[in-house]
Amino acid sequence: MLEFIVFFVFAAIAVIFALAVILHRNPVVGALSLVASFFALAVMYVLLEAPFLAVLQIIVYAGAIMVLFLFVIMLLNLQHAREENTRPIQQFLGYTGSAAFGLGLVYYIAKYAALQLPNGPFNADARAVGVELFQAYIFPFEMVSILLLAAIVGALLLSGRLPSKVRAADGEGAR
Amino acid sequence: MNPWMLYLVWPLIKFLIAFVIVQVIVAAMNWIERRVLGLIQARLGPNRVGPWGLLQIVADPIKFLLKEDIVPSSAEKIAYFLGPMLPLVPAFIVFCLIPFGPPPTFAVTHTNVGLLLILALTSTGVYGIILGGWASNNKYSLMGGLRSAAQMVSYEVPFGLSIVGVLMLCGSLDLVHIINYQAHHVWNVFPQLIAAFIFFVSMNAENNRTPFDLPEAESELVAGYHTEYSAMKFAFFMLAEYSAMLVNCCLMVSLFLGGWTLAIGGYGLTTATLKSMGFMGGLLGTVIFVVKVMTFMMIYIWFRATFPRFRFDQLMDLGWKWMIPLALINIFVTGIVVLAAPEMIINGSVVPVGETILAVAGAATVALTLFLIMKPRAHAPKVIHASRVSEA
Repeated sequence: MLEFIVFFVFAAIAVIFALAVILHRNPVVGALSLVASFFALAVMYVLLEAPFLAVLQIIVYAGAIMVLFLFVIMLLNLQHAREENTRPIQQFLGYTGSAAFGLGLVYYIAKYAALQLPNGPFNADARAVGVELFQAYIFPFEMVSILLLAAIVGALLLSGRLPSKVRAADGEGAR
Repeated sequence: MNPWMLYLVWPLIKFLIAFVIVQVIVAAMNWIERRVLGLIQARLGPNRVGPWGLLQIVADPIKFLLKEDIVPSSAEKIAYFLGPMLPLVPAFIVFCLIPFGPPPTFAVTHTNVGLLLILALTSTGVYGIILGGWASNNKYSLMGGLRSAAQMVSYEVPFGLSIVGVLMLCGSLDLVHIINYQAHHVWNVFPQLIAAFIFFVSMNAENNRTPFDLPEAESELVAGYHTEYSAMKFAFFMLAEYSAMLVNCCLMVSLFLGGWTLAIGGYGLTTATLKSMGFMGGLLGTVIFVVKVMTFMMIYIWFRATFPRFRFDQLMDLGWKWMIPLALINIFVTGIVVLAAPEMIINGSVVPVGETILAVAGAATVALTLFLIMKPRAHAPKVIHASRVSEA
């Protein structure tokens, strides 16, 4: 009974703040709403008896990634960004497209995920997650790390912070 | 026992006791810091209110409460009010998770992901600073907030990585387990010397304390993120900062210095010994814990009085080019030793082979570094003592 109350309260919080993210005009408020939504999601993980995942959710998303988001928003000073007027056809396509996607998502989640409970006790402590990650999912894990490395190298290249020798070899010439 | 008593009433009472003690320590720290800074800088510090200026602890809050609370007219109102409140929440919740003495009596709660939960909560403390800096609508405040965000995200990485070595040795995320492990082996500061050093430096940086206080560098940014804050809101920022310092010192003591125990290899005041003494034993453990924590608070002040402020690029260099690689090497070496030298039990007593190897390696690294720093340079400029400059 208590679990149901907690679930619905925090589900409502998560949804309300998620709506605030897309509806509020001020990007800083949007980013902070997303943080609040992440906290509500962390409570969901606790209810699923996975406190380790809940804590990881807060450390990674609320503690690190959203701080960087806020940093960029403030650095670019986006607080009074004015939006360009959109054409009616764009609005129509946007609303119908996302509505169709949302309905499809709900349908398939309800059909495939929610009705198939995992058999056996659910184990998500640090040890279990680590063992799974480095045994069963080692290939995707390494793939993601290579992808991230490529993104870092790409960002470094685009920001132009290369030693002058490399630039000269690129034909760009040293500034 | 009634589950309501066990899970709601007792934890609440224990939390309130811990809360009051922590607040008294935080308030007292303000006076202690100013007196010790005075001592180090050859001046007096606050000595007018009460004996040795002790009533300054009471005078300061009264002053904060009575001062006019100014809100800049162009501030973002809600964010401006939220700014000082947000960092207080995690700073207070965290004290539920720290075992001050042998559990269950002297710890509020006990979870098996306690350490990670503490990290998660402390990592959200930065929002108050960013929000306060942004909402003030002042360019110095915004600069302070931005610097704080960059610095805290950067130093969270070595902060987290330095703990990994300890986790590998102890094999648990539970602070109580980590403390008991240290009592039955050796304080983690010996096998994890480098990690303890990295942890201490990064926790200074996380708290924006002096060698790393760029978010509030008064010579560049007036007062940084709290330039526009006055009265109680300013006090909340200070309260959050000192609470966070206290939390970090508690973590340092629990992770590296054996927490409430005073034992090596299972001899001395272990948890079992303290528990056999009953309530007084638990109290003794708590006193040991508090003494260790206050020692580190003193080192914080000592740091503040000793080191000049970093430049921002130096700060980032230290974090990304030195601390993180060093922490990664530490994890690598610890992993190899833990795998290669498992626990040996001879005649029923544990022989810490791995720990000894790690301690020797760590000490050798520190000695080598000190040697390289201290080595006189070939063309070192002739040092003139300050008192001789005027004569020359």
